[in-house]
Amino acid sequence: MLTHVIERVLQALAVMLVMSALVFVGVYAIGNPIDVLIGPDVSQDIRLDTIARYGLDKPLWEQYATFLGRVLHGDFGRSFVFGMPVLDLILSRLPATLELTLAAVFGAALIGIPAGIYAGYRPDSLISKAIMALSILGFSVPTFWIGLVLIMTFAVELQWLPAGGRGETAQLFGVEWSFLTLDGLSHLFLPALNLAFFKLALMTRLARAGTREVMLTDTVKFARAAGITEGVILRRHVLRLISIPLVTVFGLEFASTLAFAVVTETIFSWPGIGKLIIDSIQSLDRPVMVAYLMLVAFVFIMINFLVDLTYFALDPRLRKGRA
Amino acid sequence: MRRETPIARFWSEFRESRVAVAALVVVVLMIGVALLAPLIAPQNPYDLANLVLSDARRPPGYVGSSGYTHWLGTDAQGRDLLSAILYGLRISLQMGLVAGAIAFAIGVTLGIAAAYLGGRREAFIMRVIDLQLAFPAILLALVISALLGQGKAQLIAALVAAQYAYFARTAHGAASAERGKDYVEAALSTPLPARQVIWRHILPNCLPPLIVVATVQVANAIALEATLSFLGVGLPVTEPSLGSLIANGFQYMLSGRYWISIYPGLALILLIVAINLVGDQIRDQVNPRLKR
Amino acid sequence: MSTGAAATPLLEVVDLTTQFFTRAGVVKAVDGVSFSLRRGEVMGLVGESGSGKSVTGFSIIGLIDPPGRVAGGSVKLEGRELVGLPAEELRSLRGRVVSMVFQDPLMTLNPVLTIGEQIRLAIEAHETVSAAEARRRAIAGLAQVRIPRPEATVDFYPHQLSGGMRQRVAIAIALLHRPKLIICDEPTTALDVSIQAEILAEMKELVAELGTALIWISHDLATVASIAQHVAVMRLGKIVEAGPTLDVLTRPQHAYTRALLDALPSRAKPGELLLRGGGVPDAAPPARNPAATVATPVLNAPYFVADRVSKRFETRPNALRGLGQKLGLVQPPAAVMAVDEVSLVVPRGEALGLVGESGSGKSTLGRMAAGIYAPSSGTVRFEGRPVMSDGPEPKKLTTRVQTIFQDPFASLNPRMRIGEGIAEGPLAHGLVSKTGAATYVRDWLAAVGLDPAFAERYPHQFSGGQRQRVAIARALAMQPDLVVCDEPVASLDVSIQAQIINLLMRLRAELGLTLIFISHDLSVVRHLCDRVAVMYRGRIVEEGPAGEVYDNPQHDYTRRLLAAVPVLPEAAA
Repeated sequence: MLTHVIERVLQALAVMLVMSALVFVGVYAIGNPIDVLIGPDVSQDIRLDTIARYGLDKPLWEQYATFLGRVLHGDFGRSFVFGMPVLDLILSRLPATLELTLAAVFGAALIGIPAGIYAGYRPDSLISKAIMALSILGFSVPTFWIGLVLIMTFAVELQWLPAGGRGETAQLFGVEWSFLTLDGLSHLFLPALNLAFFKLALMTRLARAGTREVMLTDTVKFARAAGITEGVILRRHVLRLISIPLVTVFGLEFASTLAFAVVTETIFSWPGIGKLIIDSIQSLDRPVMVAYLMLVAFVFIMINFLVDLTYFALDPRLRKGRA
Repeated sequence: MRRETPIARFWSEFRESRVAVAALVVVVLMIGVALLAPLIAPQNPYDLANLVLSDARRPPGYVGSSGYTHWLGTDAQGRDLLSAILYGLRISLQMGLVAGAIAFAIGVTLGIAAAYLGGRREAFIMRVIDLQLAFPAILLALVISALLGQGKAQLIAALVAAQYAYFARTAHGAASAERGKDYVEAALSTPLPARQVIWRHILPNCLPPLIVVATVQVANAIALEATLSFLGVGLPVTEPSLGSLIANGFQYMLSGRYWISIYPGLALILLIVAINLVGDQIRDQVNPRLKR
Repeated sequence: MSTGAAATPLLEVVDLTTQFFTRAGVVKAVDGVSFSLRRGEVMGLVGESGSGKSVTGFSIIGLIDPPGRVAGGSVKLEGRELVGLPAEELRSLRGRVVSMVFQDPLMTLNPVLTIGEQIRLAIEAHETVSAAEARRRAIAGLAQVRIPRPEATVDFYPHQLSGGMRQRVAIAIALLHRPKLIICDEPTTALDVSIQAEILAEMKELVAELGTALIWISHDLATVASIAQHVAVMRLGKIVEAGPTLDVLTRPQHAYTRALLDALPSRAKPGELLLRGGGVPDAAPPARNPAATVATPVLNAPYFVADRVSKRFETRPNALRGLGQKLGLVQPPAAVMAVDEVSLVVPRGEALGLVGESGSGKSTLGRMAAGIYAPSSGTVRFEGRPVMSDGPEPKKLTTRVQTIFQDPFASLNPRMRIGEGIAEGPLAHGLVSKTGAATYVRDWLAAVGLDPAFAERYPHQFSGGQRQRVAIARALAMQPDLVVCDEPVASLDVSIQAQIINLLMRLRAELGLTLIFISHDLSVVRHLCDRVAVMYRGRIVEEGPAGEVYDNPQHDYTRRLLAAVPVLPEAAA
């Protein structure tokens, strides 16, 4: 067991290293690296000075080493647009996105999985068909469009909820969160719902597909032959068996949702890192772009690692040992 | 005598789902409409000479200065919305299908090559694919678009980069599974050359899951392109896809001129939902674990 | 069958009909079946695939799912009507009064729950027990089915147990509430012969001890003979003959029963055609293309020899682990020696049987002989020349050794017409020209007893037996001299099996083939082969002329293997 964990940790580190190299090379290949560090409209003196200071006239691998060194110290440079250190910038915006993503993903799981299991258990009932129809919509309709419709209906027509922004926040552990205030919650609701749609549809479909498959297996037949009630079969057999593929997808989709928040944040003007990256791309604020990519890669790898461990815990066939 | 080719059997089972058939009809119709757009659109939305600013932002049913009725209204530049939607559909489908086809070709080749090569080369290729799959498609597409700039070719490149990995993984999985089956071993031990075995035995039997992935990916590509256009990173304003149309009309939503965004949106949704329904049916038919 | 009205029968089935709604129409899987069973009685339900025997079992216990349903008739358990019973009442009977054991325990046990947890769920289906009590009963239940160290097994997962152990667990679950009736659906079919013998013996003891009635469903008459007092033979949903086991098997009344018994190799003299009587003789196979024998044999070389071949399967370590192993930090996992230094010589024209249980290595050895796997060490030579090339990517060097595989569905490309599949190899090797290919295929189809017009069809349009004929045609169309048959009749029904055995015997004689016949079925090997080699754990433990090995086994394992085979009572004169 321990060797497995160590193996995975080393793998994760290796991947991070590769990612950092790729990002670095990417920036180097596309543009002048000096553009990563200072703005385009800076005097020649400062330019030469920066080149000397950051060693941009040195060979590539040396530059990469310095880059890596700086990164490990948390120095991603300064944003052109905001002028502040990129790391601080990102960290200040991160809680907003995190909040949004967590709300969306957990909401989706809590509703989607039971709905999917029901649809898989009784695939021919009217409710199941309705659930599946809705899930097709949620899966197919682009997030931005749903966002538009939500704003139109709830913010403009009905005027129940605000159309954008984050609202009031309250502090917890030194960080500003909006779910702690009522106003914040009302601002959080629509964007979280928007983001959750796709996830919800995905979870429902997966849970349904998994349940349908498991219900047809001999395991369920044998359990019925032993007189076990349907409820127990669903909870103790089916749920356990479909949890393995569900967890994998849940984990992977978390990272993808984090990225997808870009769209929702744009529509709802939610001040998270998603909006930050869009603005940065449009204003070519390269330090932010680089840091964002590295951050997403990091989150990704962490999640993959956790999913792997959970997989190990859920599926005993992966553990060694024979009678 | 009933035709028994694999395609005929597939079709006769497919026909039993009315929903899937209806969806297929919708898809075919939309493709037809998109192909014929230059012929059937009342107005060419790209022809700047046609644009009369006084006709801009008019509601559905408005009779324009050129004399014909704008059934779906006009957009911010005075373009007939129906025509814009038809052309936009054309572009969206183009993007989706072309990107899908290229991603298919690249991904399937990689996946089958990896399965055939085996050993360390296989492990390396699949590791790269896994890494790529880990990266959210939208981010990848965003970054590549941002780096390469706007334009059809660039957008296709971004879409392909975001999608080829799904094909590669599915192809690799299917090819590995088929490789272990008796009929492949029988063919190899005749002996038949590896190339022939791959082309005539392995590849045709990998097609069903690949077709499922292909339909899903085409739908995804269309949605992704729309999202990118909406965010302003996709196609240029002169050749609006459905996503751009929606984006352009977004600002008018709040002032009550909903049609500029909603109608293109409905067209987009109809297309994607139809493709997904067809894909769903194919997936259910192809899944061996659902056969009783 | 219960004679006399002495006691109320435990189970009374009258005119049971079960239907399935398929795309092709309504299928009557069970069509008016009637029988009864007394307490403690053991009954065998025998039939080939499609006979409805399994569906009968499921119908009794009420596990028919849509698109099927019990359409008519009555099933009375202890006088209580089961057909039409509300779901909840039926559920409370299942596991408690009547329970079932299925064929493949790997599929029936949940892989992510421990044995103890699964037993506990089965207990809690009908009673409330504390965790400690559940554990105690689980251990007792496991001990009852002769599982060694039940206190430890309770915490294992199914994949950690062998097939036989898993089936014992399933039986233990079926016995938990001391049901009055157990239905067993092919419970030993998936197990090795020796394990099967053990479980058969244990079941006999258990039902005698507990007074449980048993319905044993199987396609194997011999197994049923060793455990059942009464037997019913089913065909196409109906019972065609029923009675005391000895009577039915030694003096069969119905033509079908007789045909079934005639089809068994154990009932016939070795080398004789089975299913005496009838049948149009098949066409003669096409003449041999002299171009097929290109290489001249090496002088004085044995026809076919495997010289100290071994096959090692190891799991490939990933980069990290590989590094660790190289540095001596991590132990490499033990390699599996599927075949361990085996030497074998097969003279021209002989039929050699390779027998053994699962894990014996017979299939692996067969594949090395056929040029599918390359040996990890040692050589395989045909007429003095190696069958496979050396090096990191070994290629097969000869077309004169071909294979017939076990599963006829898996061995044919489902997307290729069978005519194309048969012609593919010969075309690639110049055995037939493009223009001559169609006729060549038709000739071969006729030679294996199929209508030549079938060349345009796809594999799914054929039955299992027909597909196996196609597989034989495909192998023989390459004009081999040596054919490796890897369990070619194992997946087939008894009557079809007999036809294919006859076909193989005939073709062997007509074409002068040399055969390596791999099988776990000892009676088939006895019938078909001149010599026999017995394999156990990768080695050949005994080898010799078939008659001698069977009548006078020398090695301990051979003796145990032969003793484990269930024997049919001899036919009456």
